[in-house]
Amino acid sequence: MGIELLQRTLDGLLDGASYALVGLGLTLTFGTLRRLNLAYGATAMLGAYVGAWLHLRFGAPAWAVAMAVVAVAALAGLYVEWLCFAGTSDDTPPGAGAATSARGGGPVAGADAREVVALASSFAVWMQLEQLAVNLLPRHLNPFPSLASAGEWSIGALVLRPDRLVLALLAVALCLGLAEWLARSRRGLAWRAAADQRVAAHLAGIAVPQVQRAAFAAASALAGFAAFAVLAVDGQVTPMFGMWILTKGLVAALLGGLGSVRGVLGGGLLLGVVEAHAQGMFGAFGREFAGWALLVVVLLAPWRRPTRGFPRGFAHAG
Amino acid sequence: MLEIRELATAYGKIEALKGVSLGAKAGEVTCLLGPNGAGKTTLMMTLSGILRPKRGSITFEGEELVGKTPAEIVARGLALVPENRLVFPALSVRENLLAGAFRRRDRAGIRDDVEKMLDRFPRLRERIGQLAGTLSGGEQQMLAVARALMSRPKLLLMDEPSVGLAPLVVAEIFSIIRQLHAEGTSIFLVEQNAHMALKVAQHFYLMEQGRVSFSGTPGQLAEDDVVQRAYLGQRRAA
Repeated sequence: MGIELLQRTLDGLLDGASYALVGLGLTLTFGTLRRLNLAYGATAMLGAYVGAWLHLRFGAPAWAVAMAVVAVAALAGLYVEWLCFAGTSDDTPPGAGAATSARGGGPVAGADAREVVALASSFAVWMQLEQLAVNLLPRHLNPFPSLASAGEWSIGALVLRPDRLVLALLAVALCLGLAEWLARSRRGLAWRAAADQRVAAHLAGIAVPQVQRAAFAAASALAGFAAFAVLAVDGQVTPMFGMWILTKGLVAALLGGLGSVRGVLGGGLLLGVVEAHAQGMFGAFGREFAGWALLVVVLLAPWRRPTRGFPRGFAHAG
Repeated sequence: MLEIRELATAYGKIEALKGVSLGAKAGEVTCLLGPNGAGKTTLMMTLSGILRPKRGSITFEGEELVGKTPAEIVARGLALVPENRLVFPALSVRENLLAGAFRRRDRAGIRDDVEKMLDRFPRLRERIGQLAGTLSGGEQQMLAVARALMSRPKLLLMDEPSVGLAPLVVAEIFSIIRQLHAEGTSIFLVEQNAHMALKVAQHFYLMEQGRVSFSGTPGQLAEDDVVQRAYLGQRRAA
């Protein structure tokens, strides 16, 4: 019994690490833009489908597929930024009212309207990219170059798949590495400054639109990399993959406090462990239920109201 | 060094600047006075490239600035201390200073300048690791000035640095302005506090409803009837 609980916790941690990996890009775009990108999963899925197509059609090896997935996801991310998010942020000084900003252009009905436009248009692009991917490979189940190892390690009574361990370590390293880069590097400081106070960032000489584009491209490339890593362990890809990325990533990011890079790691691991134990107790239905219930509990908890320091976490490199 | 000609900036259909012409000379403190809503902050935001003018020109050391991005304008040597400070609230005091030096690549020079700022503003040294959002209004103003200086500007723009601050802090801000001027920094200052401004500036402009209505020396300003009534109260200048 004790061993079984331990095994489930271990499986949960390994699953959770991939949730964190998937949520990392989402939290990064939210951190820099304060905007939720609903097309996030779809950009990764398009990358994955192009990768699977290259593999199926031309027999591309795993490394080439990995590069293609990352590149296509990054390009798709830039497309989303250009179409949905560029010029939707408030660059006008406080007190200037609904002004014509140098970057925004045209009179607008305030920041709220722009936020809705960004959200709605990113939903539309989600559908567009997903359809594009499905048209490329119309079958439900498509093979993906597998890097999965056949062997399993036994540690006492515990079982561990080395490929999943590598994936988990990679996720942890990426989250902590990115948090460290944001906290210490000159460019990381610029990203945090632009997230914290856009007008002040402009005045400090930081090219804010370029920062936004770079953050978007980096986040989408990370999503592509996460997609490749997860799919290479699974060995297959389905049209549900984009949705899976968005929901798991979003829950992990929300649990950790949207915008916090270290938080998304904690959020992902928590989600993974809770899901694994719920599955052990109540089966597959319990697994899904527990994940969403956890999100509701955390969002309603008094110490984590959205008004209190949500985006702050990113700015001070949390 | 700064020449503004017929500058007009609009919010939608409302023109906040209706053809403003003025200039600032190197080595001088130039002061722009004007009531709320005159367009002073709009002018500063247009100079910094945050707002785009409808027409007119801004030349700085002979180069046109209209159409340049805020980052390009900072790179050419203009730095604004914005109204209401606008520090980075979730960054530490040190990070705020470093962000101000973002365009510079000379690591050693940046380190020296951080030290200089901390010498100039000792209270910032005490709070070096603190988040800027936790500072008092006066400390945030000091930080905003220090951040702007970190870019080593040729011309420092200051938008109402005394607004909302206690008299002692206002006096401190103006003593810093005088000190910077003595060191050779050119300053273009927007103020409502005419009494304090008279002590530091060499040239004055008065702006009302988007237009410049007066231009002259401190002596001429003190003799001007409108300025007398609106800004200097009942007291008669000697």
